[in-house]
Amino acid sequence: MSTRLLLPNKYKKIGWIILIPATLVGLVLAYNEFGVGWLWAKVFAIANEGTEEHYKYFTFTYTNITNTVVGTLFIIGAMLVSFTKEKNEDEFIAELRLSSLLWAVCVSYILLLIAFVLVYGTPFMDVMIYNMFTVLIIFIIRFNYLMYKNSKTVADEK
Amino acid sequence: MKNNIRVERAIKGLTQEDLANKVSVSRQTINAMEANKYVPSTVLALKIAKVFGKTVEEIFTLEKGD
Repeated sequence: MSTRLLLPNKYKKIGWIILIPATLVGLVLAYNEFGVGWLWAKVFAIANEGTEEHYKYFTFTYTNITNTVVGTLFIIGAMLVSFTKEKNEDEFIAELRLSSLLWAVCVSYILLLIAFVLVYGTPFMDVMIYNMFTVLIIFIIRFNYLMYKNSKTVADEK
Repeated sequence: MKNNIRVERAIKGLTQEDLANKVSVSRQTINAMEANKYVPSTVLALKIAKVFGKTVEEIFTLEKGD
């Protein structure tokens, strides 16, 4: 099986170093309903909220970028953790990875479907925020669980 | 698909680790194949047969439903 889309194993550690703090800060932000304004900056925006229901396109804007920075770091960290080779990468591990991805997409959409039907109004905004990250989160948990389960059965073997 | 990797390994006196190194896969892969949890690629099946000096059909056999 081709693994051309995967980065070398050394990036996995970098991924965890970015992902863990980003997750912790992200949880703090979620607890504060994403209203914390620690970081402000002038940034370029392809689209931005304008006045009187007209969006502004391709402008510079001075805005709170706390959620942007933490979200970006989380996605970069999670992608590095997800899409790097294992130390002992081979075809069986490649299959575990692919089946975990399928599982993660499926579970993520089932959760979204449930939330879609059962959540209305402003709380649905939270559903959309969490849904941006669920595929990667569920994939990382599922893949690492399968890897752990397999290394355990190997350890039991004589 | 069934296989007799475990038996062939015992005949040759190889551990899972030895066989894994010879065909350059992880030990987990050999373990998963012996437990019938993983069907190897054609390339890996050919490599394993080569290590045991047998044909692929002597090591891997189809089951009902395959």
